[in-house]
Amino acid sequence: MAFWQTRFGREGVKYLFIIPAFAFFLIFLLIPAMQSIYYSFFQWTGLGKPVWTGITNYIRAFKDEIFRLSFINNILYIMGTFVVEVGFGLLAALILNRKYPLFGLFRVMFFTPVVLSMVAAGLLWNFVYDPNFGVLNAILKSIGLSSVTRAWLGDPSVALIAVTVVSGWKYAGFYMMIFYAALQRIPQELYEAARLDGASWWTRITKVTLPLLRESVVLSFLICVTGGFSAFAVFYTMTNGQPYHRTEIMTTWIIKQAFDRNNMGYAAALTVFLVVLVLAFSIVYLKRTGKKKVIEY
Amino acid sequence: MYTRGSLPRKIGIYVIVLIMVGLMTYPLIWMIYSSLKTDREIYLFPFSLPHEMQLDNWVQAWKLGNLGRYFINSVFITSVSVFLVALISSMAGYAFARLTFKGRDFLFYTFLLGLILPAQVLIIPLFTFFDKIGILNTYFALILPYIAWGLPLSIYIFKSFFLTLPEDIADAAKIDGCSLFGLYWRIMLPLIRPALVTIAILQSIGIWNEFLLALLFIYDDELKTIPVGLLAFYGYHNVNYKLVFSALSITTIPVIIVYFIFEKQIVSGLTAGVLD
Repeated sequence: MAFWQTRFGREGVKYLFIIPAFAFFLIFLLIPAMQSIYYSFFQWTGLGKPVWTGITNYIRAFKDEIFRLSFINNILYIMGTFVVEVGFGLLAALILNRKYPLFGLFRVMFFTPVVLSMVAAGLLWNFVYDPNFGVLNAILKSIGLSSVTRAWLGDPSVALIAVTVVSGWKYAGFYMMIFYAALQRIPQELYEAARLDGASWWTRITKVTLPLLRESVVLSFLICVTGGFSAFAVFYTMTNGQPYHRTEIMTTWIIKQAFDRNNMGYAAALTVFLVVLVLAFSIVYLKRTGKKKVIEY
Repeated sequence: MYTRGSLPRKIGIYVIVLIMVGLMTYPLIWMIYSSLKTDREIYLFPFSLPHEMQLDNWVQAWKLGNLGRYFINSVFITSVSVFLVALISSMAGYAFARLTFKGRDFLFYTFLLGLILPAQVLIIPLFTFFDKIGILNTYFALILPYIAWGLPLSIYIFKSFFLTLPEDIADAAKIDGCSLFGLYWRIMLPLIRPALVTIAILQSIGIWNEFLLALLFIYDDELKTIPVGLLAFYGYHNVNYKLVFSALSITTIPVIIVYFIFEKQIVSGLTAGVLD
């Protein structure tokens, strides 16, 4: 280190702490992001010379019916994950937030799917949904709902919901823990006061707990939106767009364009569109949290 | 929280909780006991436990698939990436928290941009770049971007941790003639061990499970990580249900065991990026 100090001076040494991080960041994040924008103005197969085509790729994106469909599916998927992951996670947190025996273990068990890979979860649920030996149809049959059984992932009317449920299963535990941590920070006196005022469980939840969890819900919504736009593994392992593009989302379509059809330039334009969406949501959120008053209990 | 309450109410709550926990865990339990059944049993009696434990399924899955190789690849790629992310980002986090230099805040916010950039936008340029320099289909094609992508959140967490340390420690060390790097390495780093654990867990799980890059940048079966390897296994044997159940069990049970051992650290590590 003495060598570096004489070479760069006391000031220069400080930059040595940043340079490795910045080099990685520049080469594998910042420059590729810029290049995507650049490539989006070219027609390019990945081999040979890219041909400048201006905004043709962007015009094509707006005319691309499957891309439009994938965008709508993506929005539906995000709304679905918000309901399933955040809704179920919040419900679980409210119920599990008790000092009953075994509840610590139950919280740990509830969280388990979060640590698995999405591929393992997707493959497992391919089997859960299997029309022949899947356990879901077996359960439905055993409770007399044979008429509901079907090939869940092959049926255009339910395939997207079926994939959304898998996401929900994998991540509900994550949101449960976020809400559980937030609930732990709510002082007991608030509940005691409400209880003394004769408030029922439901009133305490809606009038005391939920208002205090508002920031956590907003944050969860942002995670659902950004996570939902970049979701890929669960769709790729389960349906990859089938049936009839009913489970096509933007990322699966982008990867098909880039690597199956060699439309690298067009795929780059679609990724730029995706990033703009994600950035827009993030900025709206950051502005909001910048303004928000810190809640003092 | 609501410790008071009548007995029927308590029983009701336990029933609801057991149903919820069952929803989360039953698919995994079903996976494990199905992996010990014959194909015929799986097909005819999806619910029931194995008539006789077919432990041979696991042996076959291990032999037929390249699972051992996928494990080695995942362990190597994850450990190298996580070690370097922790080292590089703790240095930067320290500088952003405790050193003053020109452009510090601007640089920090530039890094934060990386927090909201979806990986998809980087795939195409990185693919062509790696192809050009000849590291596509090598460990480097995964390790290098994994390090870079792990940095923004890690730097952010390290910075907030370093800020909690009292400043006079640094002053005392400086008087003792400690170099800047010595100060970081010998004094600061040991003090932020909890942050190192958090980062190690967060990055390990993320990298161990990463799919998009691992799918697109590696095509040699010998170099595949577990998620992509599992998918390949499924591709070859998807009508051989017992083998797929076995491969899924072999690869997920170790993860679940590790999770149950380090449950506290893992839960707080995984939610750390969100809760601060």
